[in-house]
Amino acid sequence: MTNKEQEQKNKEEVSDEIVNLVIARLETIPPNVAISVGKEGNFGVQELIEKVRVKDEIGKKIIDMELHYLRSLPELLTPKDIEKDVSDH
Amino acid sequence: MFLITRPRYDKTTHYLFYWTGNIIQKAQRLGLTIYDLSKERASRKTVESFLIKRSPQVTIFNGHGSNETMAGQDNEIIINSKNAKLLAGKTVYMRACNAGRVLGQRIIADGSKGFVGYIEPFMFPYDKDKISRPLEDDLAKPCMECSNQIAYSLIRGSSAKEAHEEGIKKHKEKIDELSTSDMPPYIIAFLFWNISNQVYYE
Repeated sequence: MTNKEQEQKNKEEVSDEIVNLVIARLETIPPNVAISVGKEGNFGVQELIEKVRVKDEIGKKIIDMELHYLRSLPELLTPKDIEKDVSDH
Repeated sequence: MFLITRPRYDKTTHYLFYWTGNIIQKAQRLGLTIYDLSKERASRKTVESFLIKRSPQVTIFNGHGSNETMAGQDNEIIINSKNAKLLAGKTVYMRACNAGRVLGQRIIADGSKGFVGYIEPFMFPYDKDKISRPLEDDLAKPCMECSNQIAYSLIRGSSAKEAHEEGIKKHKEKIDELSTSDMPPYIIAFLFWNISNQVYYE
């Protein structure tokens, strides 16, 4: 993703549905896990969930990360994964 | 000759410190000269002195960063626009947040051979129960090992472009592996974030 595209995305409204989706994904992470967000600090899962809920700068970054991953899932499938899916059916 | 900085003063730099140790060991096994500026030696004064007097071909910086700065121990700024020219003729990897946005381009403009870095925060998960043993932390390992690949490539003589591509390849291999393993799937999002925001300039 280019800088321009990223900045544009940051400016877009983050809907409650997206927030809830990201929170649901974060809730699958066990409590012993923490996340390093560079110089912004290190956060436990509950702290990140709260930041996503209030959409602060770190929360928005986590939302960006999750959405970027979800939107790119089709690209991440390698040819062998697709062949396996086809042969399973 | 290679110069590596690895400050250690918070949890993030603690992890980077230990995982960078693997890069240093690999270089030593290859018989290469490595200047390991760790902890208090990851200071502006020491870094500048080594850059001037020892003239390493490759410099690998670990720590915190911003659009225009690279930090060392205790968040002291060790590279910014004022001393970026000291990296002229060298290939640079900055494993730090955001330095790829502005500083990386400044480093190239000031004569560096190549730069690899990130335009967003470099993020990774870790296991709070493994903080005292970072090298045994299987949650941190994918992001640490995959980003280490860039450094391994550079110390073997790859250009910034080649190291960037070899790093991307390593990440994609790891993503494929994790997609079909018992490892927690949330790690993949972090790997993908880091490679999506990894840049190189030559």
